[in-house]
Amino acid sequence: MARQRTGAARIPATARVPGIDSPTKLHDLSAIHPLLDHYPRQADQEGNMNLATEKLWPSNPPLDDMLKTQGEDDIDESTLPHGLTKDDLKRFLKRTLVVKRTSNMTTAGKIPSMYALVVVGNGQGIAGYGEGKDDEVARAVRKATNRAMRNLTAFDRYDDRTIYHDIDHKFHATKIQFRSRPPGFGNRCNHYIHEICSCIGILDISAKVWGSRNPMNVIKATFEAFTQKQKLPEDIARGRGKRVVDVQHTYYGASE
Amino acid sequence: MPRHYDLCARVQNGFRARLRRIAVPDTKMNLAIANVLYKEGFIASVNRGDHIQPDTDYVSTTPDNIATRRLWLELKYNNDEPVLKKMSAVSKPSKKIVMKVEELQSLAAGNRAQFIKGLQPGEIAILTTNYGVLELRDALEKGAGGEVLCRAI
Repeated sequence: MARQRTGAARIPATARVPGIDSPTKLHDLSAIHPLLDHYPRQADQEGNMNLATEKLWPSNPPLDDMLKTQGEDDIDESTLPHGLTKDDLKRFLKRTLVVKRTSNMTTAGKIPSMYALVVVGNGQGIAGYGEGKDDEVARAVRKATNRAMRNLTAFDRYDDRTIYHDIDHKFHATKIQFRSRPPGFGNRCNHYIHEICSCIGILDISAKVWGSRNPMNVIKATFEAFTQKQKLPEDIARGRGKRVVDVQHTYYGASE
Repeated sequence: MPRHYDLCARVQNGFRARLRRIAVPDTKMNLAIANVLYKEGFIASVNRGDHIQPDTDYVSTTPDNIATRRLWLELKYNNDEPVLKKMSAVSKPSKKIVMKVEELQSLAAGNRAQFIKGLQPGEIAILTTNYGVLELRDALEKGAGGEVLCRAI
């Protein structure tokens, strides 16, 4: 005797869903079906039920406060200088120059934390540096990078390759002498200054650090010197009431 | 007889103190250097005058008023900053600096000569030559060397 199935008799597929004559005739998916669409929707003004109505149970995304504890600060594109966009920022050079382990001494004991200094630049005259602290190195570096993106400044370069003139600058106990150099010379300087120059887009420079060579202070001294101390020939000429003529490019020919 | 470094100090201090004009001793050397500064555009004017103020009309120098004679230099400022930031003596009584034309050319190019640093963009050097007190590039045009008195930037 053939084994018989217990339970309900076999029902053909077409009869399982009322309103469908055959499997090939598809149901109108834009209209609400009482069985296929489980969640009840409200009718709109004309009394039509459709899927494009407000949800009865809206989603609850996490609060901004909860997201911020991750250490990710979102950069507002409107605050970026020089008409930069977030796509431009993705192509920026990022150099993590200093990573240190700091500790905060409290009554509870030593609380360690990681500090990072990141220099960011596009190699075409726009650069900045940022510092960040967090319990993890990666998060501290990310904080520092975001701060660097927010502190971008434009740097003046002569011929897009070097500084306009020699600069002597002192920052705390760090004294740096920068010397402008001819094309092809290269960046012959302290390794921190070398990285900053590659981010800014300075190709030829000579520098000597006197006194303290503390990395944080060397980096800050370099940025200060390039922003504060450069005097453009146009400004000098305007102050003295003289005309500036670019002899290098027009008379001797443009340098590469 | 005040030397040229006295003028350097007075001019630099006057600019740092943001004075409108300064009075320096009325000597031929001071007048010559002041003329060079005026031609280069570091100062607005050079006037002869009293120890109180410049003369409005011509006043001849006599033994009666010689003690009060001064040169008044009107200082220039641009964009909230002095036009002359630094003026320092090069040749000093302790070490006199006299340069030939080749050395002056290397200074003008920005290279060192005789332990004196080359000129930076916008920097001038004033020297006394057989043709008088001239700026460095004017001296090179004349093909003259001489004692390098001071440099200004």
